[in-house]
Formats: sequence, C-alpha cells, structure tokens
Amino acid sequence: MVPAHAAQIAALFRDHNRALVAFLQCRLNSLSDAQEVAQEAYIRMFTLEHPEQVDSLRAYLFRTASNLAVDRLRMRKVRHEHPIEAPSEDVHLAPIPERHASATEQLHGLHRALRELPAKTSRAFVMHVIDGCDIGVIARAMKISERMVRYHVANALAHCRARVDELEMP
Amino acid sequence: MMADTFNEQTMHAAADWWVRLRDPAAADQTVEQWLAWTSADASHLRAFEKVTELAERLGTLGEVSRAQLVAEFAPVEAARRRWLPLAMAAAVVGMALMSGYFAWSLRGTRLAPQVYSSEVAARRDITLVDGTTVTLGGATTLTAQFSRDQRQVELAQGEAFFQVAHNAGRPFVVNAGKLAIHDVGTAFDVRRTGDHVTIAVTEGRVRIFNRADRAGDGLEAVAGQLVSYDPGRAALSVSSTDLARATAWRNDRLEFDNESLAVVVANINRYRVRPVRIADPYLESLTFTGTVKTDAIDDWLHALPQVLPVKVRDAGSQTILSDAARNGDR
Repeated sequence: MVPAHAAQIAALFRDHNRALVAFLQCRLNSLSDAQEVAQEAYIRMFTLEHPEQVDSLRAYLFRTASNLAVDRLRMRKVRHEHPIEAPSEDVHLAPIPERHASATEQLHGLHRALRELPAKTSRAFVMHVIDGCDIGVIARAMKISERMVRYHVANALAHCRARVDELEMP
Repeated sequence: MMADTFNEQTMHAAADWWVRLRDPAAADQTVEQWLAWTSADASHLRAFEKVTELAERLGTLGEVSRAQLVAEFAPVEAARRRWLPLAMAAAVVGMALMSGYFAWSLRGTRLAPQVYSSEVAARRDITLVDGTTVTLGGATTLTAQFSRDQRQVELAQGEAFFQVAHNAGRPFVVNAGKLAIHDVGTAFDVRRTGDHVTIAVTEGRVRIFNRADRAGDGLEAVAGQLVSYDPGRAALSVSSTDLARATAWRNDRLEFDNESLAVVVANINRYRVRPVRIADPYLESLTFTGTVKTDAIDDWLHALPQVLPVKVRDAGSQTILSDAARNGDR
C-alpha cells in the first residue's frame, strides 16, 4: 500500500471518525454496532486498489459505511423475521421491568413529554423510534405523507431530548 | 462539568438531520450537507450525538415500557375498543356474527355466506362445501363465504379446528380478529377470545398476516408451533406446543399455558351455562397454566383459590371471582 494513502486514511479517521460513528449510530440505533461498522469501513478503505481514482475519499468512506449499515440492518431483519428456529425463550416469562429508579423516572418524563405533543406527532414518534416501524408503514397507517411523518418524528425527538435533558440536569 | 445546553434551533436541526440520515436511501449529497453542518459549529455534532443517543435508548427499551408507550400513543386502531364484559361472552354469540360481514373483500362470484354456530358447552362437527372439515368448540360462531377463487372463513368468536381440503388455486383463509391465517396444506386450530387469537398448527403450514398490513410477507408457522396474538402489545409470539394439548378441547379438556385469567374465564364460559364473571379488574391479568376439564369446571373453580388469590362465590345465574384480599361478603 502506498504510504500516502495510509496517511490520508489516518487523516480521515482523525477528522471524521466522530461524525462517522454518529452517522452509523443514527442508522443502526446501536453505538457498539456503529463502532464495528466504522472499523470495517476503514479496512475497506485500506484495501482499496486504486485510491487515486476516488474523487473524494471522505464521500467514499461514508458511502462504504452506509452500504455496510444497510447490510447489517438486513441481517438483523432476517434474524428478526425468522425467529421460528429458536423461539425466544422469554415470550412466556413475566417481562422484566426496568430496574433503575432513574430509568423509571425518565420514562415518566418521556410519557409526560409525549403528552405535551399533538397526538399525531407523538404517534408517529412512538411508532418509528420506539416501535421501530418504517416511515412508509407509518405513513400508510396514519394516512399522511412520508414527509409529514418525518416532520412529526423530528419535532417529537427534539422535544423529548430537551425534556429528558431537563430531568437529567435539574 | 458544564451542562450541555443547546439552543432550541440547534436541537431541532439535529433532530431533523437524524430523520433525514436515517433513510437508507439518503443521497451522498445529504451526507455531505450534514457534514458541512456539523463542521459549521462545534455544538452541532454534539447536539446530533445527543439526539442519536436518546433515539438509541428509546429504540431499545424493555418490552414493558415499549408496550406501554405503544398502547398509550400508537394503539392499533380497533384495539381501542374494549371487548365486551366477559360474562356476556356466551350471550353475544348471535351478535358477534355481524362484525364478520365488514371484513369481506372478495373478488369473483360469491356464494351466499353460510353461518355455523354451536351452543354453550356443545361441540359440533361440520363439513364445508369444499370438503374441509371443521370442529367447533363451545359457543363458537363462524361464517364461511366462498367464491370461485377464494375460500374465506370468519371466526367471530370461540374456537375451531380446521382440516382443510387443499386447493392451491382457491386459497383457504381464516380471519380471526386482526389476523388472517392462510392455509398452506394443513390442519390447524384457531381460538379467538375478543382480539386475543391463538393458532396451533397440527399438520403442514400456515401463513399468518396482520389484516391491516396485507403487504407484508406474514409469519409462517409449521406443525407443532403455537402462535399467539396479544392485542395489548399488537404483537405475535411463537412458541412450540404439544399437538395433543392444542386440540385437547376436542376431548373435553381446555389447556392453558400462562394465559391471563380474563382469557381463561372467557374460554371456560364457552363451556358453562352459568357464566363466570371477574369482579375485580386487577384479577384479569393474573396468569394461569393448567388443564380445565369441561365436564368438571365446578371442581376447577372450587380449587382455584388454592393457586390464585381469588374468592369464588355463586350468585344465582353466575359465578363471581373476586379479590381474596378484599373484605366483605362471605
């Protein structure tokens, strides 16, 4: 490998790793998965055969990471939709309540925050962020456009973030 | 340590970016614009991380918290309607039928719908016009509507065991509450208690769809599996079952595996002329595992206080279950 290329990747890591991990965490809803996928994306960058032909290494890094994230989501979906091989043992067990008092307090805070919002806003938010429904599915269920679903979800997310912060930092 | 405070505008922008970047089809250009935004001010990426961290936390909540939030803010449409008081379950047989008529969406020539029902505490074997045999449990009503290219059965209430005469060109579908069960060459049992539905596959395979979302692939269940739908969580769960257990009712035994007392009582009432009523709503969520012999329900009721904190009392035309800890009559 050309040393110059290694130096370029080191620079990418230094300047953009935090953004890359945040981007992947947004896609994958898991910081640890995000860190893993980011690692894999850098490895792909290192093994690139003709780095000089790539216009923007940064754009290439994010595109690679984005594709890897799509693969990972697909894998999760397969596992989720074919649980038949190994039915999860806990389906018949009493659910375990969240253990910490602070977690309980935060959940109450979340309920309160969601009640402050218009019904459609909290509904779209709960369906997408908490229940994991796709935007398209929510749009059909609520009979509104996907753009409106995104608008509601973003509003609720900002609102809840602000309310939860108030709880965490009285 | 300095508290992270962000102005409202930054937080809104961060949440907006979160939603836009979440789309797996987001263009490279969107990512570039987002990167430009994050480098415009040090607080931007930090706000984005805060939003992402919250979303992750909320996306991975425990089952109980998730179900509570969904139930309050995003209930499945029809689940909002509480089902009729359980003691009325037996009386409601005729009425429940009507709900079935709203569900048909058939193409092709239809034959007149055929309605079949059984009395409380009775069982009935029927053969549908296509040769499919069905055993109805107590207080069960179903309507069969066949067209040239489809066979639809609506289970309005109760329990039925189907041995389907297979015909790939004319699919056999059982609608029960929010679920549609598509036969793939099969014998299976469907039990409907309000919107609680359980399906036990004894032979072959079925494919189960949420009727509100027919676009999906559904869930395939094979012989030996028990699929249950809980309207409180609007979710299907799959477990394995002993085939003999699932259809034990055909031999005068009702088998329950960790089911709520509300569901247990509603099913027992299909075999008892004098209905059992739960007086304290909190008792409805107690769970019961075990066997109830339909010809010895009184014995079971008699023994129930030994396993659950309930008092059992006869009150004329019905039997009342109340909280054992509550003071009062006795």
